[in-house]
Amino acid sequence: MPDDLDRDLAELTAVARRQEARHEPIPDLTWPGDARIAVNFTADFDAMLLRRLMNEPPMQLAKGEFGGRVGIWRLVELFDSHGVKATIFTPGRICELYPQAVLAAARSGHEIADHMWEHRVPKEPELERDHLQRSTSALERLTGRRPAGTRSHHTPSLLRELGYIYRSNGSADHRPHYLRDADGGNCLVNLPFHYAIDDAMFFSFAWLGTDTAAQRMADPERVLDLWWNAFRQQHGQGRGYLNICLHPFVSGRALRIAMLDRLIARMKEMPGVWFTTCEAVARHCLSVHPPRGGWA
Amino acid sequence: MPWKDGYTISDERSLADAEIRWPDGNRCCVGITVDLSLAAGPEGIRAADLTTPVAHFAMHEGLDRLLEVLARHHLRATFAVPAVMARILADRLRAIAAQGHEIAAHGFRHEDVSGLDRHEEAARLKRTAEILAEINGRPPSGWFSLPRQGDRFAGGSISPHTMDLLIEAGFAYMGNGLADDIPHWWVTDFSSRRAILTLPYYYHFDDQFFCMFPAKGTGLENPDALARNWRWEFEAQHRRGRYFHMVLHPQHIGWANRLQILEDTLSHVRSFPGLWNPTAEECARYWQATYPAETHLRLEPSIWQDDPGSLS
Repeated sequence: MPDDLDRDLAELTAVARRQEARHEPIPDLTWPGDARIAVNFTADFDAMLLRRLMNEPPMQLAKGEFGGRVGIWRLVELFDSHGVKATIFTPGRICELYPQAVLAAARSGHEIADHMWEHRVPKEPELERDHLQRSTSALERLTGRRPAGTRSHHTPSLLRELGYIYRSNGSADHRPHYLRDADGGNCLVNLPFHYAIDDAMFFSFAWLGTDTAAQRMADPERVLDLWWNAFRQQHGQGRGYLNICLHPFVSGRALRIAMLDRLIARMKEMPGVWFTTCEAVARHCLSVHPPRGGWA
Repeated sequence: MPWKDGYTISDERSLADAEIRWPDGNRCCVGITVDLSLAAGPEGIRAADLTTPVAHFAMHEGLDRLLEVLARHHLRATFAVPAVMARILADRLRAIAAQGHEIAAHGFRHEDVSGLDRHEEAARLKRTAEILAEINGRPPSGWFSLPRQGDRFAGGSISPHTMDLLIEAGFAYMGNGLADDIPHWWVTDFSSRRAILTLPYYYHFDDQFFCMFPAKGTGLENPDALARNWRWEFEAQHRRGRYFHMVLHPQHIGWANRLQILEDTLSHVRSFPGLWNPTAEECARYWQATYPAETHLRLEPSIWQDDPGSLS
């Protein structure tokens, strides 16, 4: 019995240490000029694709479709009206479903980044490679620019091989950090986002397969307050970072475009706010704060 | 796959704000749906749903109070009525129609039809339309499939055949769809451009998701959030010159402080200029004449490639 306990202790400690070794924070992070905070507006533009993948019924697909027919156009218009550059994470397949919308976003100077070929990462290595290649080249073919980042859990070695420099997943640290493989290789910048700053968590019924009893629909004033407080907290501490995760089928609704319009206007009244793309943040980190453990 | 089958129901882009015109130079269309179903979940209205105090309130005082508020604000609504409820409330429905409101169909017992075969669904649809026609003196021109509090999703359930059956049966419109926030064309066959006009619905403007939702419990009463959703959406849509809609249930919105929220919201709405408040049928007729599918359904040619290892 004591032997079992010791073995468990050693095993769990080793797991925690290995996981810790994968993360390299950037403790002395600074932003260009006198910026106190970098703000990344990110839009996960998968329209009805994830709903289709999960075999959800027709009305759910139509709910997602709003993102392609209406929402994405409104978000781009909103960002353009404020001179804000955003990052659109989109599955390669969306280039076939909504090519004009993706192109319009790219032409306005927004970053188009990968969000998996059809919003899933296949378990089979060859198929995974096939999917990521398809998605990467679909985005490059349509926009003329090869994507530099992804919001996905694609295998890091594959991402590096295809030229990706960052991913945007999870909330291991408030600020951008470096993330490596279990064996210490295939470093990528990780730009964290938190579900607490994700529109779907407040507004999208049955998000991530949650059941009916788990739903509480929020309103724009409540979310505006919560997100404004998150911004102020990060702005106040200096060297802050905020990644605001939006979905065009959620935030593209007129009441929420109005909410975001007010949020951005308030942010712009504060000094030292760097509104930029994820790629710009990742490149800044790599050039000013290169990983101490190497970019291998 | 045939182009867009299983992915989309309409064209790639909605009408821009600047393309939208309402009759008489009005700025914003205001659509009100009153749902008279008492179904708790996908099985539709059961005997047990009709014997609760809530049901009694819905059919009597709640409905009276709701009609009074609408009359006071000179607003008309479209009543989505399951055939079962039409029989139970026949006399009331005739009076409601006489006040200028529309009576539309809402399923036989507001049941989930997604698992029915085409023949069975067609038979229920036909019977529902007949019952409503008997009571109202004319067949319904619109059909609704609104969600219930106990549903898995908040968009309403239809089968793969529903839209086609509505076209076959001659319905002028489908009352609730989520792919736009203005009327839009729901395409059932992309090659022949077969389509039915669909009016917008969104659960954030439906009282049932804020009033003791999904059941009794602590912190599940949030009509203040509903009021804020209504106000923000109305103001934004009025600014854009688009469409604002609300879905009301007598058993939910008819009660005390909730009724006051409706009263206050409607007062606020009516303080804005340029409102057009048609029934759903009038709105559908106008849209059909002004933005017909022949000229305004803009279907792009397919560029989709089927790939092994990918969804088709």
